[in-house]
Amino acid sequence: MTVEEDENGSCDTPGAILQNIRPTRRSTTFATMPLSTQSQADDEQYVLVASLDNARNLSNILKAITFKDHAIFTATPNGLKVTVEDSKCLQANAFIQAEIFQEYTIKEDLVGFQINLTVLLDCLNIFGGSTVPGVSTALRMCYRGYGYPLTLFLEEAGVVTVCKINTQEPEEPIDFEFCSNNVTNKVILQSESLKEAFSELDMTSEVLQITMSPSQPYFRLSTFGSSGNAHYDYSKDSDMMELFRCTKTQTNRYKMSLLKPSTKALALSCKVSVRTDSRGFLSLQYLVRNDDGQICFVEYYCCPDEEVD
Amino acid sequence: MDCVLDGNCVKAFGKAIHALSRIGDELWLDPMVRGLALRSVNSAHSAYACFLFSPLFFQQYNLGSVSEEGNETIKCKLVIKSVLPLFRCLSSIERNVKRCQISISAPCDRVMIRFFCRHGITKTHNVRFQESEALQAVFASHLCPNVLKAPARLLGDMVTHFPVSQEEITLSMTSLRVSLRNYFEGAKDHIKTMHTEISLHPEEFDYFQVGVDSDITFCLKELRGLLAFAESHCLPVSVHSSATGRPVCFSVEDMVLEATVVLATLIDSEIRGPSQPTETPVPTTPRWILLQQFQPDCSTSGSFVARFASCHREECVVCVPRCVHAATLPVGSCEARSNIPHDITAVTELVTSSQDSPIINPPALMQLLPQTDIPNEFCVPDAACPSTSTTPASTVICSLLFRALSSDEDDDSCAAGLNVLACYSDGEETMEDYPRSFLLGEVTQDALHILTFCDVAQSRSK
Repeated sequence: MTVEEDENGSCDTPGAILQNIRPTRRSTTFATMPLSTQSQADDEQYVLVASLDNARNLSNILKAITFKDHAIFTATPNGLKVTVEDSKCLQANAFIQAEIFQEYTIKEDLVGFQINLTVLLDCLNIFGGSTVPGVSTALRMCYRGYGYPLTLFLEEAGVVTVCKINTQEPEEPIDFEFCSNNVTNKVILQSESLKEAFSELDMTSEVLQITMSPSQPYFRLSTFGSSGNAHYDYSKDSDMMELFRCTKTQTNRYKMSLLKPSTKALALSCKVSVRTDSRGFLSLQYLVRNDDGQICFVEYYCCPDEEVD
Repeated sequence: MDCVLDGNCVKAFGKAIHALSRIGDELWLDPMVRGLALRSVNSAHSAYACFLFSPLFFQQYNLGSVSEEGNETIKCKLVIKSVLPLFRCLSSIERNVKRCQISISAPCDRVMIRFFCRHGITKTHNVRFQESEALQAVFASHLCPNVLKAPARLLGDMVTHFPVSQEEITLSMTSLRVSLRNYFEGAKDHIKTMHTEISLHPEEFDYFQVGVDSDITFCLKELRGLLAFAESHCLPVSVHSSATGRPVCFSVEDMVLEATVVLATLIDSEIRGPSQPTETPVPTTPRWILLQQFQPDCSTSGSFVARFASCHREECVVCVPRCVHAATLPVGSCEARSNIPHDITAVTELVTSSQDSPIINPPALMQLLPQTDIPNEFCVPDAACPSTSTTPASTVICSLLFRALSSDEDDDSCAAGLNVLACYSDGEETMEDYPRSFLLGEVTQDALHILTFCDVAQSRSK
């Protein structure tokens, strides 16, 4: 299979360039080993090459953090981290470890770029979202380095698509300075119970108040809406509570609009850890199992709206 | 008030709220000795629903100790939109909720609804309410000539044949059969609409009594909630009705709850029943649908008095506040004030209705009307008026109303138009000159034409 490359291959051309390429006779091998028999010579130029047999293992987790158009990709030998931020108060990170990928090659210690996440997701889903069993979209993601677009090779049922998405200068992700030493309260809950609570949350409330305490009410989510207030209390003895480690009573409020996107991550997850530190910053960590049963993490950091003690 | 429901009953309670949400936007929570009543009235005041849960329905039912202030139990009015989401997902309630506690405590303005769920989770909702006297429809079902009792699924199955968008249906009853058909206003689009008619043989009913052949047309949408409730509880539905134009009552009951929906019915202007008054004003008291909320501070903006033409006093639907001060009627208390409701509380006379609820004595009500100049043509001899102590203004009104009812020329102009709901409204509203037949109680959902009594007089005098 030949891949037609642009003359310049640079990011001068706006947006993504999509080319549908008809497979040659050798394409039958591609159906089983998609894209991996690309000539070795091509690979030399890439600083990052990551392949997945099922692109959904990446696209599903990225959907959990798509509340803004732009995302910062940070690749290290450990894996890929995708960061999305909102108004300097909220940060969402998706971690896809190197082990998740069928192929993961990185030539530098750190490769970073910023990219339009919406476009990336559209490309990953270019063959449509249909979930016919046994048919999945294979992905090969290649990056040549600073100034080059991110190239995606996507294949499904013998049809290959090449997408090139422009990259931008990566912004420095905010460091919320959330460290384990400062954590005052931590609980780990099974997502099932929290999913119900979040789906019932009164959206007319501007804030979500989280109270964590070694004594009653232990773990409480509160809303203050136009028709009244509501409280969801989780007892520390609840069988939904996998871990309860609260050292002091803390009540913090967070803007509902900031936390609303986290429900997407909650929907995908099976467990969630809720931690607050001494400043009232909130860390939500979601354990997500992908289609193949592998574990990925999504985390959200949020600044408190006001301190309520 | 403090009550606790166990898991199974929470679902029934939730279904009741779903049914009530089909009627109106507001929910009255009325704790009484004989149970907790949930009521709702639609904005056009043409539909009323009440679900009464007896104390046996609850695991615990306390009306609360006589508080320090010595107040009776609080009656609250909630916005249905704030309560419905709590009971929205009935299947998850069935799965998760072990117990539900509802309490209203005197000092605060919140109803607390607390769900004790599995897995040690507790959900507490504090919903704001307004203190408000409850509305209650008084409907003398024992005086209805037509009574049907349909098995649980029968009516529900019948109405599934009508599209969800169908607003009104007509229930025809004769001694040989009962039929349901959809109702269309006017002659519009007969070709484009699908007409459906379903007939039932009297034997399909558990109880069948048709005293008066009638065609009653009422709003289907408002009824669907009750039918869904009846189906889910496998309860037969009783239908009490009379002639065309009179309200119809649908009810279900079992040992621990009873649910009632009272709907106004349309009067087809072409149909002239034997009940129409003649030229001379009939010395019977006018029938009223009185829907009024008497706030403790007597500020009732937008409340109004609706009048339905019907024959027998006992059969009218009268909605009254449950606590109305008994006072003798001061003669000549009429002042040229626009605030009718302010006066009403002071001058209403307690008249026992068939259901032991107070109703307003209409002639007394009319005495509150502002005085206006009465053109000669509308004068009516005093003897014809129900009350000898009526002021001239009320005489005018009396005669106007009766006259309007009997006018033949009005039939043409009476389209699907609205009824005169004589009302009191706050602002100075310039009312159009309504056709005289507007008094024939055709309440439909889309509009509520309201007129002040004095405006009626003024427009007539033009």
